[in-house]
Amino acid sequence: MKIGRRSFLSFVIGGAAGTAITPLPWKLMDDSSIWSQNWPWTPVPPDGEYSQSNSVCTLCPGGCGITVRKVDDRVVKIEGMKGHPVNDGGLCLMGLSGLQLLYGPTRVKTPLKRVGKRGEGKWEKISWDEAISEVAKKLADIRSNGGSHTVGSIVDSENGTVPNLFKRFLTTYGSPNFMTMPSIQDSYAMTLQVMQGVSAQVGFDAENADFILSFGSGIIDGWGSPVRMFKANSAWKANGKKVVQIEPRLSNTAAKSDKWIPINPGTEAALALGLANIIISNSLDSKKISQSTGFDSFKKLVQNEYGTDKVSKITGINSATIVSLAKNFARASKPLAICGKGQGSIPGSLNEFMAVHALNALVGNINKEGGVWAVTDTEYINWPKPEMDSIAENGMQKERIDGAGSEYPHTKSLLNRLVEVINSGDGSLEALFVSGANPLYSMPGSKAIKNAFDNIPFIVSFSSYMDETASNADLILPNHVYLERYEDVPTPAGLSKPIVGLTRPVVKPQFNTKHVGDVVMLIAKALGGGIADAFSWESYEACLKETLGVKWDILVEKGFEFNGDKCILEGDFNFYPDAMKSLSDFSPVSIEGSAISYPLLLIPYDTIRLANGYIGDPPFAIKTVEDTVLKGKNSCVEINPKTGKELGLTEGRYASLLTPRGKAKVKVHLYEGIMPGIVALPRGLGHTAYDNYLAGKGCNFNELIGSTEDPVSGLDEAWGIRARLTKV
Amino acid sequence: MKEEGKHKKAKKYGMVINLDECTGCGACMVACMAENNVPFKEDESNKLDSIAWMRVYKLTNGKPYPEAEICYLPRPCMHCEGEHGHAPCVSVCPATATDYNHETGIVSQIYTRCFGCRYCMVACPYHARYFNWWDPVWPEESTKYLSPNVSPRMRGVVEKCSFCFHRYQLAMDKAYLEGRTVLEEDEYQTSCTQACPAGAITFGDLNNPEHKVHQLAKPDNKHGGRPGNPNVFRLLERLGTNPKVYYMSSREWVRQAGDNYINNEDFAKNYRQ
Amino acid sequence: MSTQDDKAKEVSADGAAGPIILFFILGLAASLVFGWIIFPKLLYSQKKQPIDFNHVLHVEAVEEGCESCHFFRKDGSFSGIPKLEQCVDCHEEAQGEDPNEIKFVEEYVANGREVPWLVYARQPDCVFFSHAAHVKKGEMDCGTCHGHIGESEHSRVYEENRITGYSRDIWGKNISGLKKHTWERMKMDDCAECHTTKEIKTDVETLPWPINWLPRPYEKQTGNQARVKTVKEACFVCHK
Repeated sequence: MKIGRRSFLSFVIGGAAGTAITPLPWKLMDDSSIWSQNWPWTPVPPDGEYSQSNSVCTLCPGGCGITVRKVDDRVVKIEGMKGHPVNDGGLCLMGLSGLQLLYGPTRVKTPLKRVGKRGEGKWEKISWDEAISEVAKKLADIRSNGGSHTVGSIVDSENGTVPNLFKRFLTTYGSPNFMTMPSIQDSYAMTLQVMQGVSAQVGFDAENADFILSFGSGIIDGWGSPVRMFKANSAWKANGKKVVQIEPRLSNTAAKSDKWIPINPGTEAALALGLANIIISNSLDSKKISQSTGFDSFKKLVQNEYGTDKVSKITGINSATIVSLAKNFARASKPLAICGKGQGSIPGSLNEFMAVHALNALVGNINKEGGVWAVTDTEYINWPKPEMDSIAENGMQKERIDGAGSEYPHTKSLLNRLVEVINSGDGSLEALFVSGANPLYSMPGSKAIKNAFDNIPFIVSFSSYMDETASNADLILPNHVYLERYEDVPTPAGLSKPIVGLTRPVVKPQFNTKHVGDVVMLIAKALGGGIADAFSWESYEACLKETLGVKWDILVEKGFEFNGDKCILEGDFNFYPDAMKSLSDFSPVSIEGSAISYPLLLIPYDTIRLANGYIGDPPFAIKTVEDTVLKGKNSCVEINPKTGKELGLTEGRYASLLTPRGKAKVKVHLYEGIMPGIVALPRGLGHTAYDNYLAGKGCNFNELIGSTEDPVSGLDEAWGIRARLTKV
Repeated sequence: MKEEGKHKKAKKYGMVINLDECTGCGACMVACMAENNVPFKEDESNKLDSIAWMRVYKLTNGKPYPEAEICYLPRPCMHCEGEHGHAPCVSVCPATATDYNHETGIVSQIYTRCFGCRYCMVACPYHARYFNWWDPVWPEESTKYLSPNVSPRMRGVVEKCSFCFHRYQLAMDKAYLEGRTVLEEDEYQTSCTQACPAGAITFGDLNNPEHKVHQLAKPDNKHGGRPGNPNVFRLLERLGTNPKVYYMSSREWVRQAGDNYINNEDFAKNYRQ
Repeated sequence: MSTQDDKAKEVSADGAAGPIILFFILGLAASLVFGWIIFPKLLYSQKKQPIDFNHVLHVEAVEEGCESCHFFRKDGSFSGIPKLEQCVDCHEEAQGEDPNEIKFVEEYVANGREVPWLVYARQPDCVFFSHAAHVKKGEMDCGTCHGHIGESEHSRVYEENRITGYSRDIWGKNISGLKKHTWERMKMDDCAECHTTKEIKTDVETLPWPINWLPRPYEKQTGNQARVKTVKEACFVCHK
């Protein structure tokens, strides 16, 4: 038998024919098509039991209630909590992206100790025991060398149990240097102090106002409690209430307002006093107010120095507009004036705040429906006074390094001055603890801050993320993310009704992190003596439960609790405190730079899509940023087309932005919604730390600006800086 | 069944977005991304390949300072009905990966059928469709927050807003368990509607006179779904796509911005036709 | 070609006809054997469930049949295969002497580890299957799709397709894809068997034949949104 080519071929053909009548080819086709749809790197999220938990978002001081949806033990969505008094179901895009902060790539997963130089990014993983004993040893050394007052802490705010634990620690340790991140809350607190004699937080009954005069406040750009203001804004629109926005740039708030009045930046106080003048002169002020202290001096001030024409020249606003604005404001039944530019991260000029507060007093809305309220926090933190040993007593007698309370008697914390004091050699810190804040990024004058921090030998960060401050620290003791921890949430910014909220863990901690409250207690206990005695609680959770007392059960059930009217503070209104004397000779808030070298004015703008405080934009949030704000790796500056023409800059062109403090390469965006001669740059970009989704994009506004001390409060009042924009 | 004894029309799920209230905050964009496992890249500033099922556009009135005005416009998929369900994208899909459902009015997108020809992207006049040029990369633990109700896509498929149809499926599950087939207005709401802090988005059944969207838009089914409310308009009305997303604005320039015009066209005359 | 070659061909063709047919038949037989018998063996890997579960024993012990352990949650979702905490209700400690149960208690319950059951009915991620619609509204019996698992004393071998990763139960036990019973196959075509033919529980007024064969809009709708007779455009009903 010949086995040749033909036999072979017939074998093959037989095989093929046979294969065709088996399921093999069809099954293989079906299987390979399925195989091509199931690559192993395409995730298949496992299904499971659905559940919901309520908590409070703490990414900003807004304090929105959130409902967290879970599948088994994974969180899959964060939504606003329906029925919560602050946000009633709505949530801002930062809160919605919270899961990327919980499971995200930038989390610090375990305590880290720096090896190599600061900023090199070389870390050694250490255990919690090692970390805490290292901190305790360092602090014990400093203390025994008589330097207890050279230890400081920077915390996000002064309200709530965690900041108070820091305060308690520093007090028993012997240091007065408890510092907080600055914001308009500081200016408002000072205003209430000097004009009403009360130590309180400001609250606005925004929902009930019917004419809102905003001096640059980003009502829908993130001012106050953002979602609460969004809802108030929608309610105003729906009910025909009027909003007037006064600022040099057409922000989203201005665009949604009923009237946008562009103003020369830095002259807001003049406008407020000019309006006051018109109101008094036309007898539109609230009847009883003329009996207040200092009213006559105030009246003299505004009538002599703030005539409409003069104010018009200063502010660049048409006289007729000023007059009608004053009249409309005063004639409204529930007028409300607010200030604090943008999201309120820069404290601002005290004169401006006082002028606006006087305006509110003139129309009689202090502590009234639809007006400004002085609220104190729910006084639930009633810990026994700690016993202080002699070192602690001595340390607490020393002056604060930032001059708050001494050079500037009424102010509580002056972080901007800390930097100056250290850089000029007038003072120093041996150790610094940073929690809930990212000062190396979010404080104006980045170079100066970096310099100051370089002169602090021991920096500990409690950040959950590898942010700029943590990257330059010596030890990172990562805190749980808000979804993993219990913490009290004191009254959200700007609320007139005092509320306590409770953020609670919806998942167990994903990494080897520890609650910052627990860490402070452990450090205190490691130091022993009087310091340890002041922290007799077993754990932070035990401390919180004890502190909240009966409120604990209510908070666990509902998530929030009101505290009625007990907390509203009345005081005697003083129209013309000493602090106002400088207003008798008005000059706009000065900023750095000479007009010859720097012909343009650079102002920042805030957008709710860019987080510029402790949290950096999660990937979802940075994705929403328009390509006229960030393109590729460059921030876009907004300039008026007229200015663009003068400078020869067309849309999309690269340019060099130069200020007395720094330089950046930017892209030009021509925008009709900005005054000619002004350049606007968004805050929130230019991160150098975090992860690839955020780092290296755009420039940090804070690198281009410095801080200017308000002469009375010492707080930073720089609303901008002079700048130059040239073709590149 | 007795509860459905009355003759019922098919549903037409649609939206009314109040542009007076929209603040341009972008919460709808992020809520959609979080709900629907939308991927993200390191550089999202090239908006041509940045996937955002819901996208907020910025409109301007074109006037110089200080009369400049801006308005934000959120744009999900319009779920166009066209004529008898012939949405532009549905008409061109060679794989029937997308289809118009007459019972709910929603245009579906099935990723496993799509082979990525992008013909539908060409056809869609609203740029509502997005292509996965690359495989989505989920950094580290991020796969934990992926929702099991929406299928994560691989590279090479087109994706678009689905009016959170998975929420409809889950709501129907609950309804079946309770022995009913009718959904209440608040049982099926899209993620963007729920998240909007300003309350600018309303979602519901345009054919149901009890639903808010019907009351706001007053759609005229006999004339291609045109809105009866004079302050309400749809984008590119005259293309005849019969979209289901209606916009409301008290400002005329905003309503005017919703369509394209040839020079010398009388806007008002043509708009009312 | 020249006639000489033709002749040569004829001659050799005649001579080679035998082997040609023989090899053809050999090839045919070999491929048939390979395709029908060897191929399935190669394609499917035989895996055992981590615990050999006895359904009969458990069905006798509970009161509500399948739904005692495979239940609906309040929000309408289906719980699927029970989690450890359900089993622990009874099996905190070993109830009997069976080595399987002891293994379960020692390896899983004691360590709080979920048993990695292999799911026969696992569908691809693109599928949205609503148990509520079929069991509650459709009043279907579990066995129609899942077979008589409840009457089994041992866990079946899980035959996993090496290429796709899915169970053999999806394509069907029979490699040809033909089935005798409804529970032998779970591809989309099998769902379509009911969904393209059955008219039960629908209040669509369909017009008489042959008009009812025509696609819309010739069919008068009354809008029952979950009609069993699912037409081509209703992808989103079953997919996600």
